[in-house]
Amino acid sequence: MSHKNDTNKFENFIYGVLEKKSRKLLIFILIFMAFVGSIMMIVNATVLVKMLPDKSANTFNIYIDTLVGSSIHQTEKVTECVASVLQKNKYVTDIETYLGEGSPLNYAGLVKGSALKKGEQYAEMVVNLTDKKTRAATSFDIVHTLRPKIQERCQPENSAATIRMIEMPAGPPMLAPLVVEVYGKDNQKIVSIAKQVASILAVTDNLVDVNIMANRKYQQYQLAVDTQKVARAGLSVSQVKKILYLGFHGMQVATKNNIDSNYEIPIYLQLSKKSQLLQEDTLESLGLKLSALKLMNKKGLMIPLTEVVHITKTESNPIIYHKDLKTMVYVTAGTDKMSQVYPLLEARKTMIDLFSSNDYIVTPKHEMSTNMFDFELQDRYSGEKYLIHWDGEMKVTLDTFRDLGTAFIAALLLIFVLFVIYYKSFAVSAMILGGSFLSIIGVIVGHWVADLVTINTFYLTATSLIGFIALMGISSRNSLLMIDFAKNLIDSGVEKRRAIAVASATRAKPIILTAIAIILGSALLTSDPVFGGLGVALISGTVVAVIVSLLFIPVLMDNTKSI
Amino acid sequence: MQTNNVSSDKELNIAGKLAKIFLHNPLTFVFALFILSLGVIALQMMPKEENPKIAISAGNIIIPAPGLNPQEVQKNIVEPLEKKLREITGIKHIYSTSMNNMAVVNIVYNIGEDREKSNVKLYDKIMQNMDALPANVRKPIVKPFDIDISIPIVTIAFYQKEKKIPYKKFLSTLENMQLAINALNNVSKTALRGDHKEQYNVEVDSNKLNGYHLSLGQISTAIESLALKIPNVDVTTKKNALVIMSVESSIKSIKDIENIIVAEYMGSPVYLKDVAHVSDGVEIQKKQSANIRFADGKQHDLITLEISKLGGTNAVSVSEDIKEYLSHQREYLKSLGIEYKVTRDYGQRASVAVDELGHHILVTVGIIFIMLIVFLGWRESLIVSFTVPAVLAITLFVAYMSGQTINRITLFAFLLSLGILVDAGIIVIENIHRHMHSQEAKDKTLDTIIIEATNETGNPTNIATFAIVLTMIPMVFVGGMMGSFMKPIPLNVPVALIASLFVAYIFVPYLSRKLLKRTKDTQEEI
Repeated sequence: MSHKNDTNKFENFIYGVLEKKSRKLLIFILIFMAFVGSIMMIVNATVLVKMLPDKSANTFNIYIDTLVGSSIHQTEKVTECVASVLQKNKYVTDIETYLGEGSPLNYAGLVKGSALKKGEQYAEMVVNLTDKKTRAATSFDIVHTLRPKIQERCQPENSAATIRMIEMPAGPPMLAPLVVEVYGKDNQKIVSIAKQVASILAVTDNLVDVNIMANRKYQQYQLAVDTQKVARAGLSVSQVKKILYLGFHGMQVATKNNIDSNYEIPIYLQLSKKSQLLQEDTLESLGLKLSALKLMNKKGLMIPLTEVVHITKTESNPIIYHKDLKTMVYVTAGTDKMSQVYPLLEARKTMIDLFSSNDYIVTPKHEMSTNMFDFELQDRYSGEKYLIHWDGEMKVTLDTFRDLGTAFIAALLLIFVLFVIYYKSFAVSAMILGGSFLSIIGVIVGHWVADLVTINTFYLTATSLIGFIALMGISSRNSLLMIDFAKNLIDSGVEKRRAIAVASATRAKPIILTAIAIILGSALLTSDPVFGGLGVALISGTVVAVIVSLLFIPVLMDNTKSI
Repeated sequence: MQTNNVSSDKELNIAGKLAKIFLHNPLTFVFALFILSLGVIALQMMPKEENPKIAISAGNIIIPAPGLNPQEVQKNIVEPLEKKLREITGIKHIYSTSMNNMAVVNIVYNIGEDREKSNVKLYDKIMQNMDALPANVRKPIVKPFDIDISIPIVTIAFYQKEKKIPYKKFLSTLENMQLAINALNNVSKTALRGDHKEQYNVEVDSNKLNGYHLSLGQISTAIESLALKIPNVDVTTKKNALVIMSVESSIKSIKDIENIIVAEYMGSPVYLKDVAHVSDGVEIQKKQSANIRFADGKQHDLITLEISKLGGTNAVSVSEDIKEYLSHQREYLKSLGIEYKVTRDYGQRASVAVDELGHHILVTVGIIFIMLIVFLGWRESLIVSFTVPAVLAITLFVAYMSGQTINRITLFAFLLSLGILVDAGIIVIENIHRHMHSQEAKDKTLDTIIIEATNETGNPTNIATFAIVLTMIPMVFVGGMMGSFMKPIPLNVPVALIASLFVAYIFVPYLSRKLLKRTKDTQEEI
């Protein structure tokens, strides 16, 4: 039988390795170099890290925000332009546009405040694509090609509008891939800092759809009711206010019941469109309109509204945002087929450089926490302090990786305890654990290879990490089966080195078989956009785990006295 | 090697014991069928969804404050309220927006906080502090957030291809459909978006008003008094009998509004229609609208019907019910010139995902089957392949019993365990195979070989499987949205692994005895 011969050959090969110190040293050095090399791949960004990869979907959203104080028609004009670009794309079947409110809530809109939108400055579009099975391009590729076209065509229509393309998240929903929160006491000041932050984000590579969540000021008219005049004219202040509201906004004054209808029919009173329409946006024009609106006093005399109110032109008051009781303004940015990690680091560096050369003392927070990218600004002159806090996907990524890391360390300790109970030896337990940790070499190298052979960037993601954690267990199982077998042989009187070689050779078959089962079982996973990382981690990690168990563990076993 | 005497139970570990108990038991076969059918039942009964449930508790508080500017809103309303809200336990973040005429405060609880309790806590805190609100502020509107109800699973876009019927009829047709769909099983909330409700509009011309020397206030009062509704009035007769009078509604049609006399001018009455345009229209003050554009350039006004399901119910069956109802209505709608398109169908997406998993599992089992034929022989391969559905059946049933749903992440957990769960079976069968072909086992009975081989792999396999289970368990404690998103992994993978152990110790030896033949050099029959 041929495989019998193979087994003997392998047994002799292992025995040969164990005999010579230099050969054992060579294996040590090779494994060590592979380990350091693979870690370097993460450090120098050969393998890119991201929380979850993009997921292809059959739909995506476009959020359009015009300036506060824009009319619904101005917002509609932007949506019309966007729709005309979208209609030319062959994958788009239809586009739903919702003006003045959010689209039907979905997973992506859940934390983006979609449900709370109500106002003439908002519009949301739902772009439905052909089924992903029948088209060649992924939804993120489509978004990637459409975005510059839309920016180019529609931004000139309304330069102040922000057009954001929102893709369906692969994992839990988040406000945005990149969120920068600016904290401080003075609302005006933090808005201006936020604007600087936004301008830096806008020019950072791979960052798109930058949006400041602070409304800019717009011009408005203030009507001051002159109470003296009101009293003298025989009117009341509430009457003045009510007429103003009734005339220009309108009011439901009564209802009518109807058996044919599912609800009461309101009777709505307001001035006609013609009577409301202003000639132009000037003080005079408004005054003219208001003077046409007359009030009747107690004596039955008609008094024009302009007699009792004083109109002035003012600037609007900006909205004040708080987060956890602190005044804050945040800037969001999206990423374009890119992990948020690298643009963040780049933008942060630019920001620190800019702010320190620009009247601020910058103190980065060096603490080891998931707020590690935050930094503090102190005005050189006034001494006031501002905090720049990074939130969004980065924070969630760090939190998740921290939790997964902690979970992983906890898992290691638990396994260690389990092994110590079973083998009653620290050395053997540490050996198995250390060996299984080496499968990270395979995980990282596997991602590097996967990135080389795929068109899109192949990220090391949270699912890869889950794969790695599972691999720890799988790899230690291989080592366990072998050590157990070798110990049995030694107990029955076989010489240690020979026993190790025999165990390694005998156990090679089930180890390789289970490895093949895992590799084949995960093979179909690799094509999945979200779970691809897990598939690659399992496949390449298993390959390394087999090599480690069959080659490295015997060397370690030979060197420990506990066996 | 182990001792030759396997009859003494003392030297057998759990693996050997299980193998021994079930090896000759006729019930083993029934047991296998039972497990498989449990799996089938669980697969049928389990609610299917696309994304796993995330326990998010949140709420919005909207406080209208007419006439206040952002700074006033911030100082007088938001800051005192925020301070009070800090007293609630379990809150993660408080966001607030102070704008002209309004304050909006959003609170987000820690992931995993009980939704109902959180809502009560929020209401309670607001009610306790109602007196602290400034006088000119209206009553706060508290809107707790419910993820199940808030996210529609099906949205249907309705539009009029040809304007056969007036808008009013279009809207009322949809409203009636909405009512019918709301009555379907497990449908929770339905809503229309982009609609404009029926309304009588009185649009006053300010020039004419001035011409007749009238004020807007007079018009308003005139309509109000005509529309005033009063309850029934009763009087008693001398004989103590009750006489009931009811006042008829004065507004029956649009004509009645048009003909309201608002004043007298130069001796002749001024009707409302003289100074205003009265129409039976739709909400003119509602700026929200929706439209749908198709690739061919056609554009229609749109009313979207959104349908949500009750939490923990099957998205697939709810969406199928809705689509069936719609298909019955198609002809009727067509006759009215109404077309529709289902623009969101999470039920279908869930069922596609489940089908994909089924396909994936079959392909994977097929590949492993072929691989094992090459390395071990077709009988051994058949035995290992049986373990996959058995393990999945147990896992599914446990998941069903613990109230989980089938979603993207549970499927992911199954895929993850797929590669690992055949391992126990492979290890046992490989050892049985090796022992059967070894020289030392020449004189042993098949039963002895099987039990011995199973027993030999038992301890290390147990320990190793527990090691994998241990790597998975700490993942339960990963916090935040991501943690609760991937919770199905630590919940299901350990179950699958432990189940794979029992299946490997019980059914693999049993099937080995039934199926495996000894090689020619060890001729002995049992």
